[in-house]
Amino acid sequence: MIETENLGKTVPTSDGPLCILSSVSLAINSGESIAIVGASGSGKSTLLSLLAGLDTPSEGFTKIKGKNLTDMSEDGRAELRNQLVGFVFQSFQLLPGFTALENVMLPLELRGDKQASQSAAKLLNRVGLSHRLAHTPMKLSGGEQQRVALARAFVTEPTILFADEPTGNLDSKTGEHIIDLLFQLNREKNTTLILVTHDNALAARCQRTIKLEAGRML
Amino acid sequence: MNRFSLALRLLFRDGRSGELTILVLALIIAVTSSTAISLFADRLHRTMSTQAADFLAADLVITSSALIPQLWLAKAEALELKQARTAEFSTVLIENEELLLAGIKAVSKNYPLRGVLKTIESGDYNKQVIKHQGPAPGKAWLDKRVLSALKLQIGDSLIVGEKALVISQLISYEPDKRGDIYSLSPRVMINNADLKATQVLQPGSHVHYFFQFSGSEKTLAEFRSWVKPQLNESQRLMDIHEDRPELGNALSRAERYLGLSSIVVILIAGVAIAMSTRRYSERHFNATAILRCLGCKQSEILKLYIFQFIILGIAASAVGSLFGWFAQETLFHLLRDLLPAKVADPSFIAVILGFLTGLSILLGFALPPLLRLKKVSPLRVLRRELEPLPTSAWLVYGLALSLISVLIWQYTQDFKMTATIIGGGIVTTLIAGLILYALLIQARKLLPFVSLSWRFGLQGLLRNPRSTVSQTLAFSITLLAMILSYTIRTDLIDDWQNQLPKHAPNYFVLNVFPPQVEPFKQSLQRQRINNSRFYPVVRGRLVQINNVPVQQIVSKDSQGERATHRDLSLTWGTELPTDNKTIAGSWNPSLKGQVSIEQKLAKSLKITLGDSLTFTIGSQQLQATVSHIRSVQWDTMKPNFYMVFSPRTLAGYATTYITSFYLADEDKSLLNGLVRQYPSITVLEVDAMLKQFKTILTQLTAAINYLLYFALLAGFTVLFAAVNSSLDNRVYEGALMRTLGANRTLLRKSHLIEFSLLGLISGLIAVVMSELLLYIIYTYILHLNFQVNILLWVGMPLISTVCICLAGFFGVRSIANKSPMLVLREL
Repeated sequence: MIETENLGKTVPTSDGPLCILSSVSLAINSGESIAIVGASGSGKSTLLSLLAGLDTPSEGFTKIKGKNLTDMSEDGRAELRNQLVGFVFQSFQLLPGFTALENVMLPLELRGDKQASQSAAKLLNRVGLSHRLAHTPMKLSGGEQQRVALARAFVTEPTILFADEPTGNLDSKTGEHIIDLLFQLNREKNTTLILVTHDNALAARCQRTIKLEAGRML
Repeated sequence: MNRFSLALRLLFRDGRSGELTILVLALIIAVTSSTAISLFADRLHRTMSTQAADFLAADLVITSSALIPQLWLAKAEALELKQARTAEFSTVLIENEELLLAGIKAVSKNYPLRGVLKTIESGDYNKQVIKHQGPAPGKAWLDKRVLSALKLQIGDSLIVGEKALVISQLISYEPDKRGDIYSLSPRVMINNADLKATQVLQPGSHVHYFFQFSGSEKTLAEFRSWVKPQLNESQRLMDIHEDRPELGNALSRAERYLGLSSIVVILIAGVAIAMSTRRYSERHFNATAILRCLGCKQSEILKLYIFQFIILGIAASAVGSLFGWFAQETLFHLLRDLLPAKVADPSFIAVILGFLTGLSILLGFALPPLLRLKKVSPLRVLRRELEPLPTSAWLVYGLALSLISVLIWQYTQDFKMTATIIGGGIVTTLIAGLILYALLIQARKLLPFVSLSWRFGLQGLLRNPRSTVSQTLAFSITLLAMILSYTIRTDLIDDWQNQLPKHAPNYFVLNVFPPQVEPFKQSLQRQRINNSRFYPVVRGRLVQINNVPVQQIVSKDSQGERATHRDLSLTWGTELPTDNKTIAGSWNPSLKGQVSIEQKLAKSLKITLGDSLTFTIGSQQLQATVSHIRSVQWDTMKPNFYMVFSPRTLAGYATTYITSFYLADEDKSLLNGLVRQYPSITVLEVDAMLKQFKTILTQLTAAINYLLYFALLAGFTVLFAAVNSSLDNRVYEGALMRTLGANRTLLRKSHLIEFSLLGLISGLIAVVMSELLLYIIYTYILHLNFQVNILLWVGMPLISTVCICLAGFFGVRSIANKSPMLVLREL
């Protein structure tokens, strides 16, 4: 499903080039769940962004379903994201002016789906927020916001789901609940799950763990 | 379509969350103002033109030395234009063994189409009667002077050519008395029906026909464009702008002011739109990153936002146009006592133009910040600090500048002028920006030496010097626009009032013979009437320039062409009239054979310094060299001349004198005594014209005042909105500082310092820029005197400091009044 070869990222700084990721080669199979772990600054989020095509590598390549992201334009990668990928973020990344329902509808609306409202409401119901459809993020608790984000990520039934520290902003109990929900949905939809975390318990629930240290895969 | 409906939904959601409020407000203000001003200016222009048309007795006149083709009149009739005709010619009248060269005017039934005639039945100047038609067939109306010259009385018979007419009225005012007013032959007005019977006009007779038309603007324009290509060499079209320069000047200045106000308001609104779109775009970086993450292409992002802005533009422009409509109706309502009973209807085209202006301003000022959204990286969802690259400065300023340039060009119709204003504006803005930037960088050195509140205040400005510079310049441009609007209006009105002081001359006295000058002066002094100078007048016609006949030089329809078709009043003197200004050369009255010429005539006849002019005076010819070219203020109601000769040049030619004076209404009976004492003089009453002229100026003044209030209101609202749109960071930092223990007093103080500095600097830059632009506008566009305004230098920085402080304080009040946690959550 996903394949990388010698993936690396170097950024220019005032003290010269800084390598934040180097020589990452891996293969992820369809339906697999992977945890990327490591200390802060180890390059987890960078790897995630390169796997998801949010950023371009300085060296190496990423292939999703055999398509080389490095060869694609930004618009090409956007299209691929739209077709195959879902995201969950640590800071939820909900649109503040939109209601919970509208936030979940958005990816479907971008696809021109006429049933956006019904599908979004169904999924919000699935994550237990049927009573919060008309609420804006500000009126929702952190856990509720992340549930909305989960619903938004799964509403397009993506092939791959990327999650960046999905419980990072939540207390342990709420975090646990969210993770349960994430894995349930993952199973139901048979999604390939790639999540970045430094929570070992969460990593343990994944089929495989990739450990990073100072930008290198251990 | 999908994208469009998605854009609509996104817009609705944004609108509901309050993200669009400031932007929509700015746009509505822009469209309301531009629609209101363009509607108001258009209606006022048409109302004033109609009123001014009274002086032409019609809206449009074709002058011709022969009858015009019947087809033209049929065309006018088909267009439902009202028509009248006058024929003017000179003839000698003989009665009681006295001879008099009189100016006969035969008028048709509908004359005058605009304005009124005034007569005096008893010879008493206090008892004027308004007439809407000329004399009936068989009757004649005369200048009073004809009676005394020919020893006639009202009711007597007057023979014009072969036709005997009964003298029924003395004519005191005719709206379209034109030409060189100082040497008019005394008027005899008769009915057109009697013209043939006089048998004065024979083939080859020298006659001027005036075919007059009035009607709707549209049909007049259609007729004008249809007839113009068919005019021959001896025919000419006249309307109020070219035929009555004294009124035309006031009108065109007022129109220029209206145009300027409209640009000012558009500029103010443009700044607000640019600032609020910038805020909108910055607040949408995250949302855009999410959209990108969800698979939206760059082009789709742009499309989505542009669709939203188009919808927003259409909606806000529609609301603005509606408000604009009501605003101009309110203006007309407020001005109803000053305006004529019938004002022109509002034009739908002006509303459409206001609407289109709204969309163009939105495009010109909002597109550059929006384009930045296209560049938002999807990676921003993981790394919030990633800011999209700023849009190219060329694009940011290019679009807005192009828009403003087009508007200024439209208003000045002068490419060089537009380039000067825009170029001057860019250079001044750049210099001001660079100096400010350098000052801000240097000001960092002060930080360690100032108190905490000053440090926080200064840091607010120094944190991001570029953003502070652009914000300050935006405020400066808004203030600049307000200053321009205020100063120009004040000076324009002052200038009008100076031109027409309370006791501007309302009577001209012509044909005073040299021996009568001293006794006449004494008579005036005895009656305590202050007269202007007595100018000698010799009648002569310009026939050659550098020994080439003028007819070969002038272009048809030009001012020069008209001036060479008739006798001019030539004068001489050691001093030129006081309001004349030297344009080129020097005036040396001690040299014989020198002439000073009025600049517009010189330009029209392509006359330059050193040219030799030949005049025919009576049966003799006279040559003079052009040594001086001067500007003339035609609207002063004092005698003015195209040609002023050095003394002795015109010696030996038949000379009469003219003067003008002011006579209050209650003193008009004094005229009767003067006319009795000096029967040969011609008294020309310009009182009615002057009063109407003053009324028009009063109306224009009031209108311009309201426009100013409108521009100022728009300016303050926008300034307020603009300050508010720049507060997100300040509110955030203020709330953070409060959570860290900063007390309200410290925050208030530091905000006071920051906003005061911002206001003070913006005000100072605005003053410098405005003085520079005012100099250009005064010198080259409005032709007014420019003077440095000390009050402005002191007042503007003060006002701007207070306003920006107030607006800023209002905007950041939430920091002090709400819990910091709530403030942070709301951001």
